[in-house]
Amino acid sequence: MKLFNLNLIKNRKKVFSFSFVLILLSFIGILYSSFNTNYKRPINLGMDFIGGNELRIERICEKKCSDISPDKVVENLKMFSENKNIVNNIKLQLQNDYKLISIRTPYLKIEDSNKLINNIERIIGPLNFETKKSRLIGPKLGRKLLINCATSLLVSLFAISLYITIRFDRKYAFFALLALFHDLFIVFGIFSWLGIFLSIEVNSLFAVSLLTIAGYSVNDTVVIFDRIRENLKLKDKNYNETIQLSVNESFRRTAFTSITTLIPLLTLILFGSYSLFWFSISLSLGIIIGSYSSILLAPSFLLKD
Amino acid sequence: MKRRQGWLFFIIFLLTLAIYLLINYPLQLGLDLKGGSQLTLQLVKEDGKVTKEELEAVNSVLDKRVNNLGVSESNLQTLGRDQLILELPGEQNPLVASRVLGKTALLEFRTQKVGTTTELKNLQLQRLNIKDLISEYSLLEKDKNDDISLNNIRNMLEDIEDNLNYSSTSQGLYAKLIDTKIYINNEIANLFIKTELSGKDLINAGRRQEQTNNNWEVLLTFSNDGGEKFENITKSIAGTDQLLAIILDGESISEASVGSQFSNTGITGGLATISGNFSAEDARELEVQLKGGSLPLPIEIVETNTIGPLLGSKNILKSLYAAISGLIFVGIFMIFNYRILGLVSVISLIIYGFFNLALYSLIPVTLTLPGISGLILSIGMAVDANILIFERIREELKRGNTLIRSIDSGYQRANSSIIDGHITTFVSCFVLFLLGTNFVKGFAATLGIGVAISLFTSLSCSKTILKFLTTYQSLRDRNLYLSKESFL
Repeated sequence: MKLFNLNLIKNRKKVFSFSFVLILLSFIGILYSSFNTNYKRPINLGMDFIGGNELRIERICEKKCSDISPDKVVENLKMFSENKNIVNNIKLQLQNDYKLISIRTPYLKIEDSNKLINNIERIIGPLNFETKKSRLIGPKLGRKLLINCATSLLVSLFAISLYITIRFDRKYAFFALLALFHDLFIVFGIFSWLGIFLSIEVNSLFAVSLLTIAGYSVNDTVVIFDRIRENLKLKDKNYNETIQLSVNESFRRTAFTSITTLIPLLTLILFGSYSLFWFSISLSLGIIIGSYSSILLAPSFLLKD
Repeated sequence: MKRRQGWLFFIIFLLTLAIYLLINYPLQLGLDLKGGSQLTLQLVKEDGKVTKEELEAVNSVLDKRVNNLGVSESNLQTLGRDQLILELPGEQNPLVASRVLGKTALLEFRTQKVGTTTELKNLQLQRLNIKDLISEYSLLEKDKNDDISLNNIRNMLEDIEDNLNYSSTSQGLYAKLIDTKIYINNEIANLFIKTELSGKDLINAGRRQEQTNNNWEVLLTFSNDGGEKFENITKSIAGTDQLLAIILDGESISEASVGSQFSNTGITGGLATISGNFSAEDARELEVQLKGGSLPLPIEIVETNTIGPLLGSKNILKSLYAAISGLIFVGIFMIFNYRILGLVSVISLIIYGFFNLALYSLIPVTLTLPGISGLILSIGMAVDANILIFERIREELKRGNTLIRSIDSGYQRANSSIIDGHITTFVSCFVLFLLGTNFVKGFAATLGIGVAISLFTSLSCSKTILKFLTTYQSLRDRNLYLSKESFL
């Protein structure tokens, strides 16, 4: 009848080594990112946190847009602009068949930002201002946001820990939280690696995704621990076997919940707007790792030798 | 059975109410969905914290300015202890707003120090020169690089600097020009002495076109007290070579002499005009600033976020597709796995969706992109609750219990897990909402509301519908509840 029958007792060591490898890889990523990348931080912080100017605008072209290399645009920009600091630190990309221009610069005043767009229009041809999207974040606000996100994360982790400690006894609470930090650390590590290889930056949505992952992961673990506690009260079986039975009983539920949560995230990744793309990716990763840790890792902590 | 029917009517009543609310109070869309600009303004205070009174004072001054600008549907609100957020919907240019709002607009009336006439005349001349140079430079910038003219400007600037015994430390020609302009303005202001009269004595401001040329002038109306002060000041300098300067944010915008005919009474009537070669737009901006009063603290624009209206509607469509297709897939998955139970969960999810949207329009919650993702995630939570219950019902059925008993104990036994899960999520939403920035708040609000409603719909709604369906004999077949094969 059951296709799945997890043998936790036998595979306990495998689970531990697998998690150990994941944690180690994340740790290496974070260390490498802190010392060997050009931003020297554990994770590549985006404009939200360090301030800057981001512009996206579409070109107006008949049929196909002429191809022009970004380097050439920047070179031309140098002739127009007085402020060398801006032009030297500009990051310009042309996407969607040279139609969409996206520009990143250090922090600019609105006037300077408008000047920049006008200069670009002179180099590259007419732009469709209806499609303009711009964000200017001062460096002061960025730091404030970073501190703000870090405090929200810490305070709500503390609140969740408190709730779990009240709800379960200390041993269960400790292991549930250990599994939670395991999940968050690995997602953080993956994004460190993404920052190193693909220059993916994290923004305030990433902090939100970490918090959501925390909620989900704890929730999943609590459901399984609940079942373990219930079965330990009812049955007179061997302790280890009861735990294994409980995990197998709640396996379908955890798997189904993950699948039904992953489905909308997958549609967000495929059809959602770009600003939610990496947010959905990090949530999906968190949910997959969270399910793994609540089905396999957290109960393995409870097993006795 | 009677009690269940009561529930059923209650749910139908709530659903009707929700649909009624949605039709009559449409959802408010955030700027990222409908397009517009958002400015974050930071109050700047050198020492100490910004007090609540100061924040409110700045808020009310800015509010007046925004209203006088005639920006439709704008929204100004405080954020934290020392920030304000201004939202300008549609295609309104954030540049004008930032220029008008950012200025302190501290208006002063000053009288000239005795014996500084030649000094002032020279400074006025240099001010005119630098103004010409700046406009010449701006013209040049449009016609590509012209080294000869640039050099010309550079030389003229040096002449001015020599004359003033001043040297700008900035890099770049434009910055030097601006520096020199500020220096001259400061020097001019320093030749004047403060009087008691200031922008606080105004009760109104207006503007009109000058009769002789195309320039505009700004009209000031003083309060009774201010009118008297103005009389005394003008009386004291009437007929002398001392001038009266009107100074805005430390920069003199107009210097005028007072004729000897006013030496007995001063200028009466409580009215004054500032004519400083204003363009129509300049005059309007000054009028708006003076009407709103001066800011008690200077402000700085720390974030500007502009989204074109076209991009906004694209965002809506994309997120809408994502939400709808996500829901359809989840529905298919549930019906495939749980048969009748899946159908029940689909119905209760649709009700859940309506309740959510109705609450958004009732509270009201402004729907933003992160808000939509919060909604999609909360749907995940709601489905999870259903899965927990259905799995328990399945187990009970497999143990050979009757359908009705299985349903009852399934709901009962899944209760604690569901409540735990919802509370932990709600706790993080609560913290996020309290501490988070606006962006994060949108997410926390929709997820938090979703979790709260889900507790109701998954525990009572689905149970009521299920109980209602099982009153039909034909729907009590166990095979409709237990799928024979399942891939897990």
